[in-house]
Amino acid sequence: MSGKRPFSATVFKNRALRARIWRLDVDVEPPQAQTFLAAIPGQFMEVRLSDLSLPRGTEIPEDLRDAARRQIILRRPFSPCDIRKTTKGARLGVLYQIRGPGTLRMSTLGAGDPLSLIGPLGNGFDVPADLRRALLVTGGMGAPPIEYLAEYLKTRRPDVDVRAFAGAKGLEELPYEVRFDNEKGAILDEFRRLNVESCIATDDGSVGFHGFVTDCLHHWLERNSPGEGRCIVYACGPERMLAATATVAQAWGLECQVSMERMMACGIGLCQSCVVPVRGDGGTAVNKLCCKDGPVFDSKDVIFE
Amino acid sequence: MSDAIDLSVDFAGLRLANPVCTASGTCGYADELADYLDLNRLGAFVTKSITVEPRAGNATPRIVETDAGMLNAIGLANIGLERFIREKVPLLEGMAPAVFVNVAGRRIEEYVAVAERLAECGAIAGLELNVSCPNVKQGGITFGTDPDQIAKVTAAVKAVAGGKCLMVKLTPSVTDITACARAAVDAGADALSLVNTFPAMVIDVASRRPVLANVTGGLSGPAIRPIAVHLVHRVWREVAGPRGIPLMGMGGIRTASDALEFILAGATAVAVGTATLIDPDTAERIINGLAAYCRRTGTTRLADLIGAVQ
Ligand SMILES: Cc1cc2nc3c(=O)[nH]c(=O)nc-3n(C[C@H](O)[C@H](O)[C@H](O)COP(=O)(O)OP(=O)(O)OC[C@H]3O[C@@H](n4cnc5c(N)ncnc54)[C@H](O)[C@@H]3O)c2cc1C
Ligand SMILES: Cc1cc2nc3c(=O)[nH]c(=O)nc-3n(C[C@H](O)[C@H](O)[C@H](O)COP(=O)(O)O)c2cc1C
Ligand code: FES
Repeated sequence: MSGKRPFSATVFKNRALRARIWRLDVDVEPPQAQTFLAAIPGQFMEVRLSDLSLPRGTEIPEDLRDAARRQIILRRPFSPCDIRKTTKGARLGVLYQIRGPGTLRMSTLGAGDPLSLIGPLGNGFDVPADLRRALLVTGGMGAPPIEYLAEYLKTRRPDVDVRAFAGAKGLEELPYEVRFDNEKGAILDEFRRLNVESCIATDDGSVGFHGFVTDCLHHWLERNSPGEGRCIVYACGPERMLAATATVAQAWGLECQVSMERMMACGIGLCQSCVVPVRGDGGTAVNKLCCKDGPVFDSKDVIFE
Repeated sequence: MSDAIDLSVDFAGLRLANPVCTASGTCGYADELADYLDLNRLGAFVTKSITVEPRAGNATPRIVETDAGMLNAIGLANIGLERFIREKVPLLEGMAPAVFVNVAGRRIEEYVAVAERLAECGAIAGLELNVSCPNVKQGGITFGTDPDQIAKVTAAVKAVAGGKCLMVKLTPSVTDITACARAAVDAGADALSLVNTFPAMVIDVASRRPVLANVTGGLSGPAIRPIAVHLVHRVWREVAGPRGIPLMGMGGIRTASDALEFILAGATAVAVGTATLIDPDTAERIINGLAAYCRRTGTTRLADLIGAVQ
């Protein structure tokens, strides 16, 4: 009873990976450390940013200056990109894009600062025991839970073949370290470290394949076929990309799990703001809550926008 | 010393252990909140609106944040009367705080149908009549802005409420809220709650479209608090105080000081809405804060502060 209250974590590190993409690491002590270490990729947390101050005026990008002035009150949802054990508890990685008053405030956090969290929340990706191959697909800031899923599979399920497909508008929006390999061209360091083959697609062609990440997935399937055994496509990103991924998966007869995004006021099932329409029994649409029933759904069930 | 402080209040014959309640639509049907808060410490629990038939609600986005507030256009999404009675009422049975079920409808007959069934449930102490929802096409606020309609729906529900405490929830979106308050009290309301959200709109200048799929939504949160305090004060001074009718005040309450403003303005109970969405244990912190205030100021009975603004 009442054991999931907001609690305080401590910032370990906060740094920019690119102009607008940052990585925050926070330390969590027991008892919450245990619940986060048991968390499943795709689960998320609600972060309180309203008490933080804004960066200095000149450090706020021109296009966010008006939005920056908003007095925020609501928490912001983030899916950890990494959760690891430390001597004192757990360390959570948050990969975030600066896009408004909340994330601007987040960028001012420094080592030792307290940060109020609620979580882990929602349902993560389902990894069945007979899984043989996982095809991970991310678009833009859908990256964090997929990055964690890759690591989770590599450390806990060495029997599963993992392969990643990452898309973004352009290089600046790609929330990974990009490396150039003489043989393979651009590769993503986060996945290389895990020994996961990755393929990059950008809308503007600034790096990797010039086009949609779902085309990458489709081409790969044409060349390699899903292979023997159970294969699941796991995806997180903009809804249109998720819908396209679901279509490719369906064409190949593959299961597909998608992590959905909605504007969330509470993140814990109180307000009904975050509904996702799904196909209910008998084909009629029923609303599920993204925060509580999701954010991960079976793509067959989701009625995409 | 601390045990000498009495936070309890008499709310239309119901003894509440303290004045702090949940606001409808921000706390589910109780089970959703149980992991985050000790429900038994609340003064009263007020459920999400219930209608005769289940309602899917509006399309998304249903919420948008604004300066020190938020807009919602949930559209009274709820599981419907029968499922509520089957699945949720049993969970409310063991609860220490008084339970109010918020009732909504499109027509008077719908309010009556819900009230009639709920009157049979022993676990329910009272009904909150939502005649002020800004987010539905029919019913809702269209009832709440017309004193004649308020009187009709209040009287009709009162007749079937079987002795349950009947609380009418007022909209702030009228020229004279006291006329609405008076209509409800004259028609038999045992208590009034105020305020519901303010109809409002946010436009995305990039797409030049309203942010909410419903175009408009109801504004809640700290942004509305001073207006809500003012309206509670007016209704208390002009209607509720003289008639001995208790008020449940709400609108932007986040702290014990916020709650005390409403109590001093004339509220017997206070409800926490938007703040619960942000920190689900807010109500408990407010209860602790009220006790601390009483200790600090040598107040032995919190009830002595109701309407005590000078
Ligand atoms: C389950 C979940 C997990 C998430 N994980 C991450 C993550 O790991 N890293 C990350 O950078 N972002 C993540 N997000 C999105 C993140 O919550 C928003 O970017 C953040 O709230 C923006 O806050 P802000 O105040 O900076 O900008 P705001 O001004 O609040 O928003 C800026 C823009 O982002 C859009 N937006 C804001 N919140 C959401 C939302 N919840 N869903 C969809 N669009 C939104 C708004 O429409 C607006 O256009 C996640 C969202 C969800 C629902
Ligand atoms: C997400 C949300 C949903 C709400 N749903 C209801 C509802 O179903 N019925 C109702 O009478 N009021 C509803 N309200 C109004 C609140 O009960 C309350 O009157 C209002 O939000 C002001 O209080 P606050 O500023 O503390 O939130 C809702 C408010 C919010 C924010
Ligand atoms: S965000 Fe409140 S119910 Fe999902």
